[in-house]
Amino acid sequence: MNASKYLIVGSSHAALEAARAIRMQDDAGSITLISRDTHAPYSPTVLPYVVSGRSSADRVSLRTPDYFQAEAINRVTGQALTRLLPAEQAVELEDGQRWHYEKLLLATGATPVIPPVPGLDRIDYRVLRTLDDAIALRDAAGKAANAVVLGAGLVGMHGAENLAEAGIAVSVVEMQSQVLPGYFDAQAAELIRAAFDRQGVTMKMGRRAQRVEPQADGCRVHLDNGEVLNADLLLVGTGVRPVTDYCQGSGLDLDQGILVDDHMATNLPNIWAAGDVAQARDFYSDAKVVTGILPDAVEQGRIAGMAMVEDPALQPYRGGVPINTYTFYGQQAISVGISDTADTAAQVAVDFDAERGYFQKIILKDGRLQGISAINAALDPGILWQLILRRTDLSEVKAEFLAQPLETGRRLMSDTWR
Amino acid sequence: MGTAYNSITFNQAKCDGCGDCMRACAQAKAGSEDLIHARIQILAREDAPVELAMCRQCGDPKCVSNCPAGALNKNPESGVIDWDANKCVNCLLCTVGCAYGGITFDAAVGHVSKCDGCDGDPACVKVCPTGALEYSTAGSLYRRISEREDLFVPGLSACQGCNSELLIRHTLRNVGSNVVVATPPGCIPGMGTVGYNGRTGTKVPVFHPLLTNTASMLAGLKKQYNRLGRDVTMLALAGDGGVGDVGFQSLSGAAERNEQQLFLCVDNEGYMNTGMQSSGSTPAGSWTSTTPVGEAMQGKRTDAKNMAKIMMMHNCEYVATASLAFMDDYYEKLDKALEASRRGFAYLHVYAPCPTGWRFPASDTIEVCRKQVETNFVTLWDFTPEQGLRFTRSVERPAPISVYLKQIGKYKHLDQAQVDHLQRRVEDQVRSLQAFTHMSAAG
Amino acid sequence: MTAIETAIDPRYQSRSLVCDGNEAAAWGVALARPDVIAVYPITPQSSLVEYVSQFVAEGIIDAELMNVEGEHSVLSALQGAALAGARTYTATCGPGLAFMFEPYIRTPGLRLPLVANLVTRDTLTPQCVWGGHQDAMLVKEAGWIQMYCETVQEVLDTTVMAYRIGEHPQVMLPVNVNSDGNYLSYGVTGIEVPPPVLVDAFLGERNINWHAALDPERPMAVDPLTGGAGGPGPGLFVGYRQGQCDAMQKALDIIEETHRDWGDRIGRHYAPLVEEYRLEDADYALVTIGSMTGAAKDAVDAARDRGEAVGLIKVKTFRPFPVKAMARALSKVRAIGVVDRSVAFGWNAGPLYQETLAALHSTERFLPAASFIGGLAGADITVDDFSGVIQDTARLLQGHRFDGPRWINRND
Repeated sequence: MNASKYLIVGSSHAALEAARAIRMQDDAGSITLISRDTHAPYSPTVLPYVVSGRSSADRVSLRTPDYFQAEAINRVTGQALTRLLPAEQAVELEDGQRWHYEKLLLATGATPVIPPVPGLDRIDYRVLRTLDDAIALRDAAGKAANAVVLGAGLVGMHGAENLAEAGIAVSVVEMQSQVLPGYFDAQAAELIRAAFDRQGVTMKMGRRAQRVEPQADGCRVHLDNGEVLNADLLLVGTGVRPVTDYCQGSGLDLDQGILVDDHMATNLPNIWAAGDVAQARDFYSDAKVVTGILPDAVEQGRIAGMAMVEDPALQPYRGGVPINTYTFYGQQAISVGISDTADTAAQVAVDFDAERGYFQKIILKDGRLQGISAINAALDPGILWQLILRRTDLSEVKAEFLAQPLETGRRLMSDTWR
Repeated sequence: MGTAYNSITFNQAKCDGCGDCMRACAQAKAGSEDLIHARIQILAREDAPVELAMCRQCGDPKCVSNCPAGALNKNPESGVIDWDANKCVNCLLCTVGCAYGGITFDAAVGHVSKCDGCDGDPACVKVCPTGALEYSTAGSLYRRISEREDLFVPGLSACQGCNSELLIRHTLRNVGSNVVVATPPGCIPGMGTVGYNGRTGTKVPVFHPLLTNTASMLAGLKKQYNRLGRDVTMLALAGDGGVGDVGFQSLSGAAERNEQQLFLCVDNEGYMNTGMQSSGSTPAGSWTSTTPVGEAMQGKRTDAKNMAKIMMMHNCEYVATASLAFMDDYYEKLDKALEASRRGFAYLHVYAPCPTGWRFPASDTIEVCRKQVETNFVTLWDFTPEQGLRFTRSVERPAPISVYLKQIGKYKHLDQAQVDHLQRRVEDQVRSLQAFTHMSAAG
Repeated sequence: MTAIETAIDPRYQSRSLVCDGNEAAAWGVALARPDVIAVYPITPQSSLVEYVSQFVAEGIIDAELMNVEGEHSVLSALQGAALAGARTYTATCGPGLAFMFEPYIRTPGLRLPLVANLVTRDTLTPQCVWGGHQDAMLVKEAGWIQMYCETVQEVLDTTVMAYRIGEHPQVMLPVNVNSDGNYLSYGVTGIEVPPPVLVDAFLGERNINWHAALDPERPMAVDPLTGGAGGPGPGLFVGYRQGQCDAMQKALDIIEETHRDWGDRIGRHYAPLVEEYRLEDADYALVTIGSMTGAAKDAVDAARDRGEAVGLIKVKTFRPFPVKAMARALSKVRAIGVVDRSVAFGWNAGPLYQETLAALHSTERFLPAASFIGGLAGADITVDDFSGVIQDTARLLQGHRFDGPRWINRND
């Protein structure tokens, strides 16, 4: 049987970060990265830019082959994980090969959720999760004139913008009443939606695709209000779910994702999980959540790697904070922490100027930052993230922070540097 | 790992917030007068120290980890985090990774920008009129200091790997020759600074006070020099016994009277010069020759006292802790302490791991120093009556104490309960010190 | 004119004062113009440092006054000041002296001419705040010059003289001016404060740290380690020690010369080492020290009136011990009764008794002697007590010998 001291399944941010953390402490132990994909490691986040042509598919790799050689990291590609064999400390891949491990990290990421829309299974729709998806979408865009995008999340919005920029008539169908729910409140979302409107993208908010009907050169999408949209390209961007099919019968505790503790350890010995597949502590509540965001995947991957290598400097995970940066039509939107609250004890300060497309919303509670979301406002998301995670007491500088979050945040963090 | 890169260093105490660096950067990087383009941002405010936002060229950069496009990389040659415009997709996720505002979106150019070190010749450093910005490595800092005269003779007989010898040589180089040096009994005179049998080891006036009266003797000296109208620095280089044990009364009295002197405690956690006996600053659990390990006793039974904190409570002109693993921090504090000692009492507590007495390899001294700090076993801070206590290195997210303890022979017998005790002690100390931040003891 | 000149006597003449010994000492300090004074109060010295502090506050003394946290630091600070060239002053006694002991025993080796009044006090325990010589006697081997005063005036005069003695380049030793707690510290009499201009001339230019300085302009290591086997170690140490002993012996001459000059300039003469009182035709003598001597002299006078051939030998300078002067005095009598205000543990006698007998050895003569111990814990040795001492001493001439000391005040 093949064997690797550290076996990492996955090859994106969480997996790579874990490998790096392991090598910091153990420069000899064998590390093997197993991936379903055959490409050099890349980030799903870069895919919209491959679609738009900004990034070329052969230049998006996160690590060069030299890196793996220098760090003595072994790679197995084009093989999905099919079975966990915890009793034997082994895994089985799709071609049947088995790998024995001392420490196993599951960083298998997520896969698109396909909504149960009647007729969808008979359509050649597109998704955007893998590099191959991106290449296929790019090719399809080259031939399409009308596109429908299901879902106004990040994938859908990026996809819609890319397709519209390619000269395609695009409609976005979102069953919620706003775009990018979870990251922005209704007011901010409206600013973003309006920008798409101005660019000629048809935004169907609060609408649901009731069924899809195949056509010779595409499909027709029937909405719940009776409206029918013609599409020669259908992009499904209705979210993702953790890839956990290989966990069946293994005894691994699952909920929406693989449940992990604050060291990213699963309930089974010597198995960790990190990144989009993991369901870990939420920063704001006692619940465990799948965050599915890149900076969090990096954080979790690092923690998992440190735990696997028993790095004594390991600090427990402080909890997932929703965080995102989103650029659209040359505008910048950022969101760190919660974007809305029903908590009457919280202080909410909103600065909004529809004319300039400017929005900034700060939520404080007990002198501590809970969340900040902004469009076209100069902010340092990394600093804000730290202020939230560290529960930095802003009471003494509150007025200053509300007036100048950028400068005040920088000053506070600069003070912690030395 | 293992490579020291040049980087732009910022000495907060020297910065007057003039902003020349920002103008030079905006000009160099964008040919613009608009400071929005400056990749170094000075944050000046009245009644507060000047802060700085710029890329620190981290050794373990999170901006790089967060980049989905492979556009950011730590350059192994220069140490600079290079940004590749051709690969950048403008997603701004790098800015999520930076806790210091070092990589930011520049709306005027439509992409992120960050300091690139100007290919080794930073424009900001060249124009800095106060010397607050420098382009240097830790090594070049040492070189610069070592260009000053070493006021101790060669061949002091300290043990191999001695932290204290390094410390006193660097200290006196900075202090200069217009000084009277007091070295109460301990390793520092033991290595020959005051000399043996008529020969001295120091090029400036130096003497053995008693173990008990260093601060008082210096106080008397200073009084007479003041009377003579001569400005002479009074410097004590004392061990922890001469500070916190028998030396404490005179120290406390001198601090209370705000005597003008710089009192430096070289804390090696016991009487290392005379065979490693326990002192008041020996941490709980430590093996020493008077707190041995056996059936009935497993090292020292009580905790060390926190002398720096005690001195802070005297409301001295200046109190600071320092570690030789953080020399730039030490130099800055030494300068401040010297300045403060012209006005009144200044106390520096420097932690001095002892390879001989603590049982660790002589080559590990600085690493042990570093681990002390990284585990919060030692915290770096300074204090003035006006500003209160300020950490000069973050105490957030320390490594567990076990990382530090395992390097050192005097702790090798510790059981889990003793390790847990020390961990709790570290946490208690940090909490206690945190309570003093932003609090002026003058109040 | 300086503040002190104005305060004492604008006409450059002595000023008469009625004061106690502690104030008299403070006026002596004022006349000596110290640079640095360090104080810590202790009974019965407290009013002395209060006077000195008051004088500083009023500008009568122009000095740095250090209110330090204990006697240990008092002397330490003054050592530091002296190493920077300062003339210094302090005073202490009893437990304070005990606490000062560590820097105290070091001062002579550093050859620093500090002056410190000891307002003597019995040592603990039993708990006691009253006069006695036990404190000063305990440190007689420490290397300080020690002079015991008999009168309030002598406290002032000796305090000034102490500076000239200690700072003499052939001496360079610290000096204790000892005055009996209670009897001299609080005893009020009329005194004369000499004119500062005469005292200035008497003391001359100070040069405190010509031999050992902590001065960046003259860098040197003060007190490097000496001793140990090999090298110049032990030899160097022995050399330093011998130098201290030689200076002590030299001090006997300097003390005499200084007292003589004081008498010439100021007009008050004291026996510098040993005073002989009605000794010329005496058969036997009392040996006394300190303020008890007044009452002893009265008792001697009374005995003389009764026809007793008794005299008195008073020791002023106890360190260095004036062996020759003492031998000269002892050679004039056939028996002695030595009155101590302290005890020598293990000898069943007083320390003055011991030292007197040791000095006697140089005469190669035997004298019957008795040890009397009195005045402990502030007790009064009255004229009647001394009359008893005289009677007991007289019995020595008849062949009587005492086993152990005679304890005065045992029934007080």
